[in-house]
Amino acid sequence: MLGQLFGGPVRKLKRAFERAAKNAPEGPLLDFYHADLPDFDAPISQIDMAAIDLETDGLDAASHAVLEAGIADMDTCAIHASSARRIRFRPDAALNPGAVVVHRITDDAVAAAKPLEEALAGVLAACAGKVLVAHFAEIESAFLDAACKRVYGTGFVAPFICTMQLETRWFPRQFAQDGLRLSKLRGRYGLPPYRAHDGLTDAVACGELLLAQLTHVARKDPPLVEVIRR
Amino acid sequence: MTSDSVEIEEVRSFLEQVEPFASLPPDQLRQAARAIDIMYFRRDTFVTHAGDDNQYLSLIRSGSVELRLGGTELHARLGERDCFGYPSLIRRGPAQNEAIAFEDCLLYRLPAEMFHLLWEGHEQFRHFFDTDQASRLHRAVASMRREVAKNDGDESFGVHIPLKSIASRRELVFCTPELAIGDAARLMAERDVSVLPVMKGDDLVGILTDKDLRRRVLAVGLDGATPVEQVMTPDPITLAETETVLSALLAMTSHHIHHMPVVNAGGRICGIVSSSDVLAQLGSNTFHLAREVEGARAMGSLVDATAHLPRAVAGLVEAGVDAEPIARYVSSIGELAHRRILKLMEQELGPPPASYALVCFGSLARHELSLGSDQDNGFIFGDDFVRESHDEYFAELGRRLAEGLDQAGYKFCPGNIMASNPDYRRTASEWAERFRHWIDSPDPQAILESGIFFDMRAVAGEAHLVEQLRRETFEAASENRIFTSFVARAAAVTAVPLGFFRNFLLKEDAVEGKVLDLKAQAITPIVDLARTHAIVKALDATSTLERLAAAADAGSLDPEAARDLSACFEFVRDVRFRHQARQIRNGEKPSNKLDPGELSRFDREHLRDAFKLIRAQLDKLRSDYAGGLT
Repeated sequence: MLGQLFGGPVRKLKRAFERAAKNAPEGPLLDFYHADLPDFDAPISQIDMAAIDLETDGLDAASHAVLEAGIADMDTCAIHASSARRIRFRPDAALNPGAVVVHRITDDAVAAAKPLEEALAGVLAACAGKVLVAHFAEIESAFLDAACKRVYGTGFVAPFICTMQLETRWFPRQFAQDGLRLSKLRGRYGLPPYRAHDGLTDAVACGELLLAQLTHVARKDPPLVEVIRR
Repeated sequence: MTSDSVEIEEVRSFLEQVEPFASLPPDQLRQAARAIDIMYFRRDTFVTHAGDDNQYLSLIRSGSVELRLGGTELHARLGERDCFGYPSLIRRGPAQNEAIAFEDCLLYRLPAEMFHLLWEGHEQFRHFFDTDQASRLHRAVASMRREVAKNDGDESFGVHIPLKSIASRRELVFCTPELAIGDAARLMAERDVSVLPVMKGDDLVGILTDKDLRRRVLAVGLDGATPVEQVMTPDPITLAETETVLSALLAMTSHHIHHMPVVNAGGRICGIVSSSDVLAQLGSNTFHLAREVEGARAMGSLVDATAHLPRAVAGLVEAGVDAEPIARYVSSIGELAHRRILKLMEQELGPPPASYALVCFGSLARHELSLGSDQDNGFIFGDDFVRESHDEYFAELGRRLAEGLDQAGYKFCPGNIMASNPDYRRTASEWAERFRHWIDSPDPQAILESGIFFDMRAVAGEAHLVEQLRRETFEAASENRIFTSFVARAAAVTAVPLGFFRNFLLKEDAVEGKVLDLKAQAITPIVDLARTHAIVKALDATSTLERLAAAADAGSLDPEAARDLSACFEFVRDVRFRHQARQIRNGEKPSNKLDPGELSRFDREHLRDAFKLIRAQLDKLRSDYAGGLT
């Protein structure tokens, strides 16, 4: 039953993952693929996850750059602050002034950042073997895919949980225009307001939202396949 | 990736606003922030069950949590920025309280390991939990502290002084783990210590207490040649000498221990602090109340001083002080009040025209006064007393004394056993006559009522008058088998409850009662038991615990029964003091009666055991001493 319903997306993901693994050059990306995929039929409580949020200087993965990645390991019990990481990327060009206002990342901070290849290697190591949790995961998957293609010539394929998609799937209702924003959804679960647009804070905020969604959904401890982005 | 590891800003900034984290140095605060596990609990789900191996100090980031305090109906509601879960961490034992999400909550949870690191490394951090854990105690003692500060500007409040100042006074006697327990016991007896640190070289590896010897050696009949290390308590909890008396009090209370080794900065043992040291320290504030009573220049200031007694008692109860020392304390305040009032009245009336003693009966004589006890007293006159010319003075003195005591909280005796009553103003020989009458022609009703006269003590004046009367009376009584059998029988008629069924008290006739009278149904029977043994064996002891011990020594009471009854007596009085402390907190008048529904399961189970034990001993008393008359 599950196989019929969800087999499509999972099978597609597995195929793409295997193909990318075959094409990946020796190095951080290949190491990432060697960590392998989780068991999609396992209950979510047994899955290692990492909440991730990328700060970028625009929304188009093809033309904009990643500025910062915030990552924190989590499972269905807790988000572990001890694993919290912030990896700053050094952009090729000067910052797009418009984006600075939003992200409060200044040229000074960027000066302490790492070149793309080194930063990306850090992100890949942090994500290896984990299911990635993001709010509107299209951004994270697209930007990481573009960055990997740029550096390694092979794309980024990983299992994602998208908290925005989960909300519409598990608790379908009419949403206001901005009703799916992270801060709005958090309020609904009694989660405190966090100051947005710091990569790490947003990653944690998103991870907390997933914890809340998992306690509210009717089916307790669903298998990963039911939670994963489709 | 460690170079990228960083604290989550939201977590750090929240900790910065919340004690005890706010008082941590920035580096440690960051370290704490990095150790946090963030968890979410849906409304009505358990965060912690009682008995869980709790591994977190939990800080509420959003939502609210309800704490159900172990074994009670007490609930505490905690909100954002409150923390919970630390008693079990501090105790390093299972959780006793239940924590339930009252609303959806986000918790920032500090793992036990980091908690202990901060707890050990930062006084401020530790102090926060000290004071929070003891907040109720603090409310009680803070008022005393304010008074101390008000009166003599003395800030060195007893419980806040370092252990160094009280633990190092005595010489330290210790032994090696290989020493035979028989030798250890002798050493303890010789040096008059009740606890022996066990040292391997410079290292403290255990402690041996007299309690260990009783429980682990005598009770199981262990050979005296057994090495100490087999019966000692290994790796005892220690306290740094810089810790306060309050920390020692809390540690002892939470670990249920009575002795703690104190160590210096180098970790070397430098003394032992015992619960009685701690009590003495508490006492030095409670002595403040005593000082006020003693120094009162007029009834007004004395009444003001004794009005603080219930609060002081509630403070001691909440600090976990045992019933016996509390009762001693209440008694000594009572005794001081009697003496001071008598003095004040003598000053009003002029010097007494004849020698006399103020004798008190009952609980005050036994050093077992509790809150709300009424007065029982009389005058014993010396040979120079001439009724015709002197009694007018003593009648007035007795009247004023009774009135003064009543004002000070020692209510008029309903049975009129007061020096204001001419029947209780007698010369030594008249008193002796009165007692002889009871003894020689015993009347069951009179004996029921006269029990307290066998608890007598001089409170003021010519103590020898009381002492002589007491000795003669007990000698006469112990020799009269008919009288002792009446006393035993009178004691044995007390109806001790069978136990509990739900919120009801099961009585002998199977009628279920709603109210438990701790005094009449549990305390008085033990007092009567002990008194009966004291009369039968003409024991000098007057307080119940001393009488039980003396009765065992005299062979009148089985030593094990004496120990059990003593434990019972401590326990039921403890229940009463706790009950009274609760009443005081709620602004009610302390009483002996309580609704069985108020009792925790623990208390009920132990009370049931106590009832059983008391009934068995009363039955034994009847068969031993009331033979043929029942």
